[in-house]
Amino acid sequence: MTELVLQALWSGILTGSSYALIALGLALIFGTMNVINLAHGELVLLAAYVAYTCESAFGASPLLAIPVAIVIVCVAMALTYLLVSRIRANRELNSLLLTYGIGVMLTNGMLLLWKADIRSTKSAWLQDAVVLGPFYSMRSELLFFLVSVVLIAGLWWWLTRTWAGRAVRAVASNREAAKLMGIDPHRVELVSFLVAGLLAAFAGAAIFSFGVIQPALGTSLTIKAFVITVLAGMGSVPGVLVGAVLLGITESLTTTFASSALQELAGMVLFLFVLFVLPNGLFGTRWRH
Amino acid sequence: MQRRALIGIALAIVLYALVPLAFAGNLYLMSMIVAALTIGGVALAWALLGNLGGLVSFGHAAFFGVGSYASALLVMKAGWPIGGSLIAGGVCAALAAVLVLPALRLRGPYFALAVLAYAHIFRIIATEWKGLTNGAGGIGNIPRFPVVFGYDFASKTGGYWIVLSLVLAFAAIYAWVRDSHAGLALRAMQHSEDATRAVGVNSQFLKALMLFLSAFMTGVMGAFNAHYINFLEPDYAFSGLWTMLPIVAAIFGGYRTITGPLIGAVVVYLLDQLVFKALMPIGHQIVLGALLGAMILFAPEGLLSLFRRRRLQQGGVPAAASRNA
Amino acid sequence: MLELRDIRVRFGGLHALDGVSLSVAAGEIVGLVGPNGAGKTTLFDVISGTVRPHRGTLHFENADISRTSAYQRARRGIGRTFQIPQPMHTLTVAENLTVAQRFGTGQVNPNTVAEILDLVELTDRASRDAASELSLAELKALEVAKALATQPRLLLLDEVLAGLEASGKRRFTKLLADIHARYKPAILIIEHDIETISTLCPRTAVLNFGQLIADGAPDVVFSQPDVVASYTGAVHDA
Repeated sequence: MTELVLQALWSGILTGSSYALIALGLALIFGTMNVINLAHGELVLLAAYVAYTCESAFGASPLLAIPVAIVIVCVAMALTYLLVSRIRANRELNSLLLTYGIGVMLTNGMLLLWKADIRSTKSAWLQDAVVLGPFYSMRSELLFFLVSVVLIAGLWWWLTRTWAGRAVRAVASNREAAKLMGIDPHRVELVSFLVAGLLAAFAGAAIFSFGVIQPALGTSLTIKAFVITVLAGMGSVPGVLVGAVLLGITESLTTTFASSALQELAGMVLFLFVLFVLPNGLFGTRWRH
Repeated sequence: MQRRALIGIALAIVLYALVPLAFAGNLYLMSMIVAALTIGGVALAWALLGNLGGLVSFGHAAFFGVGSYASALLVMKAGWPIGGSLIAGGVCAALAAVLVLPALRLRGPYFALAVLAYAHIFRIIATEWKGLTNGAGGIGNIPRFPVVFGYDFASKTGGYWIVLSLVLAFAAIYAWVRDSHAGLALRAMQHSEDATRAVGVNSQFLKALMLFLSAFMTGVMGAFNAHYINFLEPDYAFSGLWTMLPIVAAIFGGYRTITGPLIGAVVVYLLDQLVFKALMPIGHQIVLGALLGAMILFAPEGLLSLFRRRRLQQGGVPAAASRNA
Repeated sequence: MLELRDIRVRFGGLHALDGVSLSVAAGEIVGLVGPNGAGKTTLFDVISGTVRPHRGTLHFENADISRTSAYQRARRGIGRTFQIPQPMHTLTVAENLTVAQRFGTGQVNPNTVAEILDLVELTDRASRDAASELSLAELKALEVAKALATQPRLLLLDEVLAGLEASGKRRFTKLLADIHARYKPAILIIEHDIETISTLCPRTAVLNFGQLIADGAPDVVFSQPDVVASYTGAVHDA
């Protein structure tokens, strides 16, 4: 029994790392622009379908699809940014509606192009089991876990050590002050979209490599990213990591002890629990009400 | 006052008598109109929550589905009469909204997402709780509307009259709330919540009330739909379309007014079914998404209001002084 | 009727209020002065319920209201104005008062609304959009009128004179005296204008760095050395 739990914890950490990439992208955009990109999950899924196409049409490994996915998703993100920045009034609300519309377009576009069938990678190499001590995992899970760790570390380095990253943090914490320091918030917003796109591309390739995809998954992914942000509490980046892993663990525990069909529900229950019991999330700062 | 009454009577005659007379032969068109009005009812409820409650929801499908299943199950498993079950469906949806209450604490965009998550949750529950809902297999042979005073309300025209009456009743309720003191307070709350609290307005309570009202109306629409279509399954009852179409309809027709969402629903739905679907049988929702995006960018107050504003400007009356239609 | 005991409010590391105790009797007019940042508006926030103190108790008409929410305090008879006027958006002046009356007292009485409008001289602005069509003086008048509509027994006035020129100040001072004479609420008034305070308030309390450093008749209080020092910025011996 303990082995099952430990195994579930291990799997949860692995999948959680990819969820973290999605949630971090969402948080980055929200931090700099105060906009929630409701199409975020769809963009991650787009990357997954790019990986699928590379594999099915060209016989290439999904890993090779990543550069292509990055380009495509970043272009899509840039377009989204362009449209969102055009909103004149009431941006908080209207950006929700706009990105919702974009999400619907993407979901149906993917439905048109790739049909409703469930897809996953056919690469045996990626699906091979790897044993590390007592823990089993798919090679793809392990691989993308390492990739995520590198990306997250890279993101941290970028945010704290580079001027571009510092500019992002400046705009996120105080837009007006940042402007006074000569930082162009529009550039920063675009950059945050692009970085989010980069992370999303990797996350999409990951999900295709160790999971299954279908056009409806986009909404699920957006919701998962949102649940993680609620778990984390407002404005907490380490919280996002913890939240992502927590979600991953919840899902894998549910799959192990109940059924895989219920794993999404388990994530939702976790979300409800946090909402009712810990409204500030695990790490959030208290709000005044 | 007299003119208003005359217009009201004329409108009632047109809607209740002339429309069925004109289209009763064309069953296809009648069922489109019924579906459009169903969407219209949800659009109205959605707009009410947005305008009065100041809350944007992306998960009204949750309330629609809960209402559908609640009504169907109450009739089929507990022997309830259909009329009462419609109301009960609405009540169950409002109860489901109780679960959404903690999300009210979240800032605007987060609330919108939270409701989206709820729609997801309910769909999964409906799919997995096979004992109650028969899971993905769905429920078939849901009882139709009964014969009353010799008239078969299960017919297309009967269904039309029922949904029309429901929608008009909801519009009347919306107007009544909007014009009440609570309605004034609700409108003020959106910009000046502290100021309203300082004069004794229980803003949390009023917002919650709007959430319940919106959920109730949507649930009743769902319940109506269940007995009209006579079939339910989770992916249909909780389909994202029941969220999407009302939103597009409300934005199209102008979500700040009461008639806007209704007119928008008829136009958008008929457009979608008769034009978009014909061009693009799968994925025709892309056009809807594009339409929504275009409206947000170029006409966020709705296309109808663009038209209205132009007329007002020509008349010389400042737009701000015009009361909501 | 209002009793604050040892109120402490902390925002992060800042002690906005550091052990403030204050009593106000029914019908009393008390001035509240102090340099900027002394904690005066925070004190109002504590009384009206917008901010919860970390420590201390709050009694209003012999009932402990520490846990009562802001809107309930308004219904119980605590009315306040905001330093920066906050009219209720999308409503007209008259609707502002009607809503305040309806929710603050539970009833609607158009005669009382008309009476208040007349008192604050806003009768001919009654159908104007409150948020966009009023001058600053009118906005301030509306702030007071809104609070009055809730039939307060304690009225908290936060710098209602700020930004008005001399004749406006005189009119407003007279208005406050009229309000007190007619409705007899206890009034707690934050002001920077020492002359107005001395004329209007038989009693003044002085706040500095979150602490009450003086409380008594204005001429006595304003000649206290530490009070003078708090305004002139002389170094204050802790």
